[in-house]
Amino acid sequence: MTKQGRILGIGPTDNTSDQRTPRQPLRLIPEGVRDSFVPVVPATYRTGPHEWDLTRTAPGRPRAQGTAIEVTGTLRSESGRPVSHALIEIWNANTHGRYRHVEDHSGLQLDENFYGMGRVLTDAAGRYRFWTISPGAYLARPDIGRWRPKHIHLSVSGGSARLITQMYFPDEPNNASDPMAILMGDAFARNIGTPRDVNGADVDEAYDFDIVVGGRNATYFE
Amino acid sequence: MTTRQPNALPATNEDTSGPYFPIAFADPALEDLTCVHPGVVGEASGTRIILRGRVLDRHGDLANGALLEFWQTNAKGIYRTPATEGDPAIDPWFHGYGRQRTATGAYEFRTIMPGAAPGRAPNITITVFSDGINRIVTQMFFADADGNDTDPVLKAAGADAPRLLARHDGRTAKGEEVYVFDIVMAGPDETPFFDDLES
Ligand SMILES: [Fe+2]
Repeated sequence: MTKQGRILGIGPTDNTSDQRTPRQPLRLIPEGVRDSFVPVVPATYRTGPHEWDLTRTAPGRPRAQGTAIEVTGTLRSESGRPVSHALIEIWNANTHGRYRHVEDHSGLQLDENFYGMGRVLTDAAGRYRFWTISPGAYLARPDIGRWRPKHIHLSVSGGSARLITQMYFPDEPNNASDPMAILMGDAFARNIGTPRDVNGADVDEAYDFDIVVGGRNATYFE
Repeated sequence: MTTRQPNALPATNEDTSGPYFPIAFADPALEDLTCVHPGVVGEASGTRIILRGRVLDRHGDLANGALLEFWQTNAKGIYRTPATEGDPAIDPWFHGYGRQRTATGAYEFRTIMPGAAPGRAPNITITVFSDGINRIVTQMFFADADGNDTDPVLKAAGADAPRLLARHDGRTAKGEEVYVFDIVMAGPDETPFFDDLES
C-alpha cells in the first residue's frame, strides 16, 4: 500500500511524451470519493455488421494489400469476470505503415481497399474477434532512425471497464526500442499477441490476445 | 468497492492512444450531453453550460489530437451507474458520460451543470488520452460554487486547488453559462492529476 501517488515515466526518445507527461507525482484520490472518478460508459454505442472485417472496405470488395490476420481473445476484469457486450474500437496502419487519418502526413502509400478502423462488441462470454491487415512498422523519429513496431490500437469501453492499449507482434526487431514498451518493462510481454493456427479461417495468420482491464476501472461496480 | 485479490489476473498495460484515434469514431450523442441524440426529442434537465478550454503541453503549446472524456452527475447530483439505476432522481435523458477528440487541442463541451453529490462540490471528472501518454485524470470544479471549501478533492490538491477551478465567462445569447478550464499536462502551471489505479 503506497501513500504516494505514482510518478509517470517519460517515454525515451519520444518528444511528445516529454512535452505531455505530468511531472508532479499523481495525487491520491481521497478515500470515499473513488467512485466519482469512475465513468460508466452507457451501452448506447453501435457497430456495423461488417466492421469486424477490416481486410475489406465492404463485403464483396477486394482484399486489402498485405497479410490478412485474425485476432481473437477474451476481455476480462482482473478478477477473471468476462466483460460482456463491451465495445472494442480498433485502428491500425496499413501494410505500408500509413493510417487513413487526415492528420497522418507521412506520405506513405495508402491502400484503396483499407480503412484501418473498425468496431466490434464482446459476446456474452467476453469474447471478441476481428480481421485486419498486419500493420506495417513506421519511422516515428527519422532523425534518429527510431521506428514504431507493428501494432494494433485497441480502445475498450464497457460499463466501468475502460482501457486504451496496443497489441504488438512477437519477435519484431523494433519492439525493444519502443518508448512505451520500455516503460512497460517485463510487463510488455502481456501486450504481445500469441500466434496460433488459423483453423481454416480465410486469413494468413491468427493471434490470440486476451485483454485484462485493471486498475480501478476494471471492477468497480462488479 | 473492490479490493485487489492476490490471485488477480495481470492487467494488460495501458498504452498511448497515439495521434491517430479515428475521427470517424466520434459519436455526436457523447459530444453534447444536453440532448440525448441529435434529432430525438428528449433533453437533459438542468442549467445548460458550455465548458471550453485548451489542453496544453509543458511548453504552453496546444496538445493536438487529444481524446477527452467527461463524467459527471445529473442536475440532482446523481451519477448514473448500475448502483443508481432505478433511483427516482435519475434523469432518463442524461447519462453523464461524454467523449470528444480535439484536433487542435482546444475543446468545447456542451452539458448541464452537475448537481452536488453528498459531501461534494459540483465537479466534472476529465480523462485525457493522447499521444505520448496513457490516460491522465483530474476533476474540475466551478469557481465560487457552494461546497468548494469543504470538497475532499480540492482539499487534497492543497495549494494547487485553484488550478482545478473553471472560471465563469458569462452567458451566451441562448442562455448557456460559459466556463473556461485549461488542462496543463505538464510544466509550471501543471494541473493536478489523480492516480486512478488502486494504490
Ligand atoms: Fe499507431
